[in-house]
Amino acid sequence: MAKPFLIFVKQCPVCGDGLCRVRVCHDLQRGRLTGCILCDECETVWTDPTLKQKFLRGKVEGTPCCPDCGQSLWETNSHWADIPEVCLLGWYDSVQIVRKENRDQIV
Amino acid sequence: MARRTSNDPQAIANVLRLIPAKWLVGMLVAAVLYFFLQPKLNAWFGWNLPSIAAMAGNETPAKPASTKPAQPELASTKATEPKPAQPKAASTKPSGEPTKSTASSKTQQQDDLKYRILKPLGRDRYESPAGLIYAPGSEEGHRLSHIARHLEDQPDRPGSHGVFDGDMAAFLVAIDDAYKRARGHAKGTKSRLEDGMTIYEAPFDQTIGYLGGTEGARKKNPKLKKLRLVLRDRNLITAFPIQ
Repeated sequence: MAKPFLIFVKQCPVCGDGLCRVRVCHDLQRGRLTGCILCDECETVWTDPTLKQKFLRGKVEGTPCCPDCGQSLWETNSHWADIPEVCLLGWYDSVQIVRKENRDQIV
Repeated sequence: MARRTSNDPQAIANVLRLIPAKWLVGMLVAAVLYFFLQPKLNAWFGWNLPSIAAMAGNETPAKPASTKPAQPELASTKATEPKPAQPKAASTKPSGEPTKSTASSKTQQQDDLKYRILKPLGRDRYESPAGLIYAPGSEEGHRLSHIARHLEDQPDRPGSHGVFDGDMAAFLVAIDDAYKRARGHAKGTKSRLEDGMTIYEAPFDQTIGYLGGTEGARKKNPKLKKLRLVLRDRNLITAFPIQ
């Protein structure tokens, strides 16, 4: 379902065109919600909004992976974070929130 | 009044009496040569020379071989759309035309190519002529779908959003061109390694797109002449025009 907000930290320092957005992975086995920062263009993963530590090793090759469970961040148990989830992660002060005119552009 | 035609035997006989014998022999030899060479010349050069029978009025002239290059549509649409039935016109085609099978096999090869240049490798993976791999991945499900985001502006998107000015086939050709030049360290190109990824930049002589997104709108959508590619090995992750 389309979300009315785009939540991001900043423009990607790696590729220069993507947005570093908050992605959450819901580990159903452990019942744990993990947050990370994912560039929606070049798919670089950072462990937190400071963008200091990249996560490079995952269980699925060629795809960005969750720093906690190692599974692909494009699987159905992952999604772009909404505002309550960003608050839950304690990252609200680190992100920018943009309300979109065209809500369908944000998925 | 009866109208005389060129087929009138009496008229032909009168004309033949006026022509010297050696001329007649020469014309006969030319006619025999033409009889054998006409279908081959049509086949080789795509001409539309009429056959002797057609000139005599016994047969309609052969249709010209199509000289227009095959322009297959996007493979995605081609796969789903049935081809229109082509009426058979066996009587108008020269029999034993040597290029018929060659032309059809070329068309078949182009039909197999996605966006006219990508060779299928199986499992929804494609390889470009320069060796780039377009595989499933990204949020959109496939790298081709992902880079298609850069074929149109997203004016509400925060920051910059490079937009390529052209269709997908042209974009893929530009990506290949940039990749080849950047790999060859051509003048003006840049490359850097970033934790397993290679990022190439290549300038173009002409404008290839414009800057979109909110930053692009703020700057009145300046034209862009550079392309940036992000690769993991030979796998393309993303590509977009930059300033």
